Amino acid sequence: MKILVSWLREYVEVPVGTDQLASDLMMRGFEVASIEPVPGRPDDAVIDFEITANRPDCLSVFGMAREVSVAYGTPLRMPDSAAPQDVAVGRVRPSPAPVLRVTVERADLCPVYCAAVMDVSIGPSPAWLAERLVLSGVRPINLIVDVTNYVLLELNQPLHAFDHATVGGAHLMVRTARDGEPLTTLDGQERTLSDDMLVIADQHRAQAVAGVMGGAETGITPTTSTIVIESACFEPAQVRRTRRRLGLSTEASYRFERGTDPSMPAVALRRAVALIADLGAGTARPGVIVVGDAARSARRVSLRWARIGRVLGMQVPADEVERILTALGFVLDGAESRHATSPVWEVTVPGWRGDVTREEDLIEEVARCAGYDRLPVTYPSMLAPPARVAPRLVRDARIRDLLVGAGFAECVTFTFIEQRAAAPFDPAPIAIANPLSELFAVLRPSVLPGLIDALSHNRRREQRDLRLFELGTRFTSAEGETRSLAVGWTGAAAAEHWSGSGRAVDVYDVIGLVQRVAAALHVRLDVEPTEHPALVSGRAGRVVRVDADGRRVPVGLVGDLAPTVAEARGLPTSDPIIVAEVDLDLAAPDYDPDRTVISQPLPRHPSVIRDLSIVVPADLPAARVRGTIHAAAPPTLVGVREFDRYQGTALPAGSVSLSLRLTFRATERTLTDGEVHAATDAIVAALVAEHGAALR
Amino acid sequence: MLDIDALTRLRDDFADSLGKVSTAADLQLLRDTVLGRKAGAITALYGTLGGLSTDRKREVGRALNELKAFVEAGLDARKTQLEAASAPMPSADLTLAPRPLPVGSRHPLNAMRERIERIFARMGYEILDGPETEDDWHNFEALNMPADHPARDTQDTLYLQQPFAQGTRATGDARSGVSLRPATLLRTHTSAMQIRYMERGAPPVRIIAPGRVYRRDNLDLTHTPMFQQVEALVVGEDVTMADLKGTLLGFAREFFDQRTPIMFKPSFFPYTEPSAEVFVGCQSCFGSGCSMCKRTGWIEIGGSGMVHPSVFEAVGIDPERYTGFAFGMGIERLALLAHRVDDIRAFYENDLRLLEQFAS
Ligand SMILES: [Zn+2]
Repeated sequence: MKILVSWLREYVEVPVGTDQLASDLMMRGFEVASIEPVPGRPDDAVIDFEITANRPDCLSVFGMAREVSVAYGTPLRMPDSAAPQDVAVGRVRPSPAPVLRVTVERADLCPVYCAAVMDVSIGPSPAWLAERLVLSGVRPINLIVDVTNYVLLELNQPLHAFDHATVGGAHLMVRTARDGEPLTTLDGQERTLSDDMLVIADQHRAQAVAGVMGGAETGITPTTSTIVIESACFEPAQVRRTRRRLGLSTEASYRFERGTDPSMPAVALRRAVALIADLGAGTARPGVIVVGDAARSARRVSLRWARIGRVLGMQVPADEVERILTALGFVLDGAESRHATSPVWEVTVPGWRGDVTREEDLIEEVARCAGYDRLPVTYPSMLAPPARVAPRLVRDARIRDLLVGAGFAECVTFTFIEQRAAAPFDPAPIAIANPLSELFAVLRPSVLPGLIDALSHNRRREQRDLRLFELGTRFTSAEGETRSLAVGWTGAAAAEHWSGSGRAVDVYDVIGLVQRVAAALHVRLDVEPTEHPALVSGRAGRVVRVDADGRRVPVGLVGDLAPTVAEARGLPTSDPIIVAEVDLDLAAPDYDPDRTVISQPLPRHPSVIRDLSIVVPADLPAARVRGTIHAAAPPTLVGVREFDRYQGTALPAGSVSLSLRLTFRATERTLTDGEVHAATDAIVAALVAEHGAALR
Repeated sequence: MLDIDALTRLRDDFADSLGKVSTAADLQLLRDTVLGRKAGAITALYGTLGGLSTDRKREVGRALNELKAFVEAGLDARKTQLEAASAPMPSADLTLAPRPLPVGSRHPLNAMRERIERIFARMGYEILDGPETEDDWHNFEALNMPADHPARDTQDTLYLQQPFAQGTRATGDARSGVSLRPATLLRTHTSAMQIRYMERGAPPVRIIAPGRVYRRDNLDLTHTPMFQQVEALVVGEDVTMADLKGTLLGFAREFFDQRTPIMFKPSFFPYTEPSAEVFVGCQSCFGSGCSMCKRTGWIEIGGSGMVHPSVFEAVGIDPERYTGFAFGMGIERLALLAHRVDDIRAFYENDLRLLEQFAS
């Protein structure tokens, strides 16, 4: 709301300069967006205030003047021609028939409707009026339209002028629109109305959308000779719904939907009629139409002085409370308890303060005007012992620490992604109804797509060695919201070094990382072969959680990123890109950060190691070889690990040589050679029988 | 008494001693102790074999042979080691490039969130976790923003195409028996978590709710459609606005500097009454005015106020008996200020050249 300081000074004495004024009002809750000088008038300025949604009364020069008068204790002066004269608000007066008739069919949506008829000549506004409008950000059009805008800015009461000659039957009706009823609004748009909208209609058809915009047919033209000025109050929610349905926001709708003063239509109408007459642009027909009762909505709220202290933590003297609220226009009863130790007031709320509905609203007015800087500094007492941190948050923090410790850079990417980036992970992701753009159309079903984009961003900026991770929420119909860890690794696993020890990353590095995460989560995770649209076929793994009872629950994936997926995101595929995702909620649903470890006794007897080299079919998974070995071995076999794998011309086609290291140990004795021999023989026999293995 | 256990003990003792040997002389001494012709422990054990039955003699004898082989192998290996150690090692140029361990980094936004969490955790606040998709009740209605409230405009909301049964793991509500509603929108603030918390139990309340929130804002220098917030809520029988001021002053001094002043400016939020915007003294010019604080000397860090009685009524807390305060801060804003980053989008690009600066 742009406020011209010289205009403001017409209603209230301002004992300070512009900068101080802006600063003082800012401290009363009116944010200052800018202060602009007025060319040629060094003492004047335009202050642009940001008015919060609860203070529509301050969307006007007079409303701001009231705040100024409270701030400096200087008197507030109403414009003369707006002062009460012959119109008693709250009574339906005889209309100037047959000049105009007004019928309000929906008093619930239009509590007050006032109208006046004037004979006018259409011409430009005087320079001072046009200048005030321009400085307030409104374009002058002609004197009649300009006066309606002027009064709007002055008193926060939207007015509308109809060309009387175009009002069919000289009858205005406030009614709901007929479904499908057409109306061309003042902006030239043809609109189709629906029966939940309120209109101003003449005998034939809708001529204005109530509280939003007038119609083109009844607008003021250079040849207009008689006008109807409308000054009304419309129900805020109704205006808001209509404005949204039509996608049409105007100065009028902005104010009506925040709530206007029901006592203001009559005042503003008088002001507009007087201005037009004073400026020599028209003469009013006798009588003013007033439909509705402004007084019935006056609200009363109780205010306890003790409650002010309880909410604020500071005492504001009772006489100061009375002074502040009275200056703001509230009427206080309860003077008899004035000298009681703890007064209670019955406060009547003025019509322009629709935001004040309960005691706390009054307490805020007192606090705001007394000044927040007067609040003392105290601390809330400890009310209960501090709670335990949610295990899920501890878990996430530890996993993030682990990844950072392993040399990964943490990323934060957007939760909503492109449909086609989501597709390889979930063909039917959760979609957003009103996305900003196609780039943010669906909720991520996996944290990987965002991470792939981060890899792409960096890879295209000459960064070859990338270890990135993100821990965040993913959204799937099957699991709901779950927290997931995504990892992307490309380039070196061990950096290039003069000793010649550099090595590129491969999938086993990342599986090792997944196993490290499993250890931190206190669960067992296995990788089993699978196919996945985002991973290279034949190099794709499903991460499963293996429970004590042998149940295997899928919790993630690991593998080489499919080149089609990488290329679609602009990620160069010259180096392998290994990705993994582990859903932490699925992997560790019972994570206990304070788990107590029950220790196992240390082995008292030495272990015996035997190496075994076998030739087996190349497509036989190592996990099955290990399974066969464990099934055939006695419980003294405590470990099996592949330590060499060889495929070459010395071997039959389609086969592979696998070297395995077997570790045997008994808890209560030293194993004998014979025992270990027997176990190894049984293992070899099983490998031969199950897989046709040959011993090398 | 000669048995297998005795041999095991002897084996363990030997292994222990062998590890402690550091000179050739000590090694010879150990050899004599175990294998010496006269007093060697194993030699002595061989001498006792004669008193055993044939079966036992065979069993113990084999174990004794294994032990002797183990001891000899150990002594020989250690001897080689000691000889190698006494030979001069080639010198190494320690100024050559090392084999670097990879350096990881925390994302500045998450690091900032954790820093704020730590400050409040020290003040005894519980840290909440909650769903990012929400229903209208928890995000708006319970927070005094009914369907036609104009304040909904300023928090332009992203809605879901279909109702979404939210992740109950995130709410804890499934366990506490609060009925779950399907989510219809992305939360516009983390206040929704506070509603969930208050629905679950009676005051006192002392919590912070950190997390991602969503608004239908276009990307520009200072806006992203997703950002992170930390909101706090304290409810009790005598919680006042002065307590709010003290708490925020305490936070500002901990977060910025022990002399940092704060300022409250009246504002409007539907869920608090009275409401205040919170400013801290500009850390760049210390109040004299600069471009960072638009020459005001003050920087806004968030919104705050006393919990609106309608919010208490919505969650079944008696507003006559209880009062409370709430405040919220944007993590991106604090991170922009603290790290002197001038474009919020930089936080979401994840450029390694920026991330590496936050190595940890
Ligand atoms: Zn500054």
